[in-house]
Amino acid sequence: MPKDFNKEAYPEPPRQTPVVDKQTALPNPALILSKVFYYTVDLPVTTFRDTIDSVRSKNKLVYYHQKFRRVPDLTECQEGDYPCYYEAEMQWRRDYKVDQEIVKVVQERMRACQQREGNSYQQNCTKEIQQFHEVTKNFQSRYGDLGAYASARKCLMKQKARMMAAQAQSA
Amino acid sequence: MVGMSLLRSAAAFAARLGPLKAGNNAANIITRTIPRTDKVAIRWGHGKKLFVVKPSDFYDRRFLRLLQYYILLTGIPVVVFVTAVNVFIGEAELAEIPEGYEPEHWEYYKHPITRWIVRNIYDSPVKDYEKMMAAIQIEKEKADMRMTQLEVRRQMRQTGDGPWFQVPTLDKKLIDHSPKSSPDN
Repeated sequence: MPKDFNKEAYPEPPRQTPVVDKQTALPNPALILSKVFYYTVDLPVTTFRDTIDSVRSKNKLVYYHQKFRRVPDLTECQEGDYPCYYEAEMQWRRDYKVDQEIVKVVQERMRACQQREGNSYQQNCTKEIQQFHEVTKNFQSRYGDLGAYASARKCLMKQKARMMAAQAQSA
Repeated sequence: MVGMSLLRSAAAFAARLGPLKAGNNAANIITRTIPRTDKVAIRWGHGKKLFVVKPSDFYDRRFLRLLQYYILLTGIPVVVFVTAVNVFIGEAELAEIPEGYEPEHWEYYKHPITRWIVRNIYDSPVKDYEKMMAAIQIEKEKADMRMTQLEVRRQMRQTGDGPWFQVPTLDKKLIDHSPKSSPDN
């Protein structure tokens, strides 16, 4: 996980290290193995990483996440104004990608919760499960069967069909 | 003991008979071992050396050798270069955009080689967007002009008071009215 992850969304489970109550004089093989692992694998890898980082730290590059301005939607474009259509289409595509990533994040949270709780996940992670269901239902209703050649126009038409169905049902 | 001396005299006699035959040396005619031709090797290293008859693999091995050579000729410098970039320059880290600062378009990428390519080789995404919008605008204007041309055609054909669809006819001054002026000619 990156260093700046959301601590509330991924809470750490309580530590369960048992109290050491050694009653024999024999050496603990688990302790020996862990020390062996530390000295043969962990320490060399960490020192290698530190040397590489010290070499790298002279020229530190940064990158940013681009923020895009909001442009008029497809519904606010004049008919036949093709540049406006293009801008709305690009904005819709960016929003589609963002929504896909949102679904992935929510899914990841549910999976992390299930991994944490073990066999009692169904009762302990109700919030995550309910959030996942809601988010996927909304995603499906908005972008559901648009297919590979999805476009802003098709999404708008789908929304229109949804609204018509809702009106027909309520009437 | 007597038999031994008999054998020895027999060996000397045989050596006398055929001195030029190899192996008939009087010294070792009794003590030599009988050569066994089915088990020849003295040391059991890799077994008997055989000449295996198989088709030539020279061309296959030459192909593989040349393939290896030509792949590694550029492969190794590329691998060394990419490793050096990753070790000495390293990937970028994510940071918040500072206030009032407009990052350049290559500062949105992580790997230094990608950043270099985007900076020097590719056009900026703003420029690409504008190019696309310009192409769309030109096509839109062309389509609009074609639509107006069709409309103008329709109007001119219908009303007939425009410059198009004029059929050239003879000058009306050339008409000879003289037979029409006197009816009973």
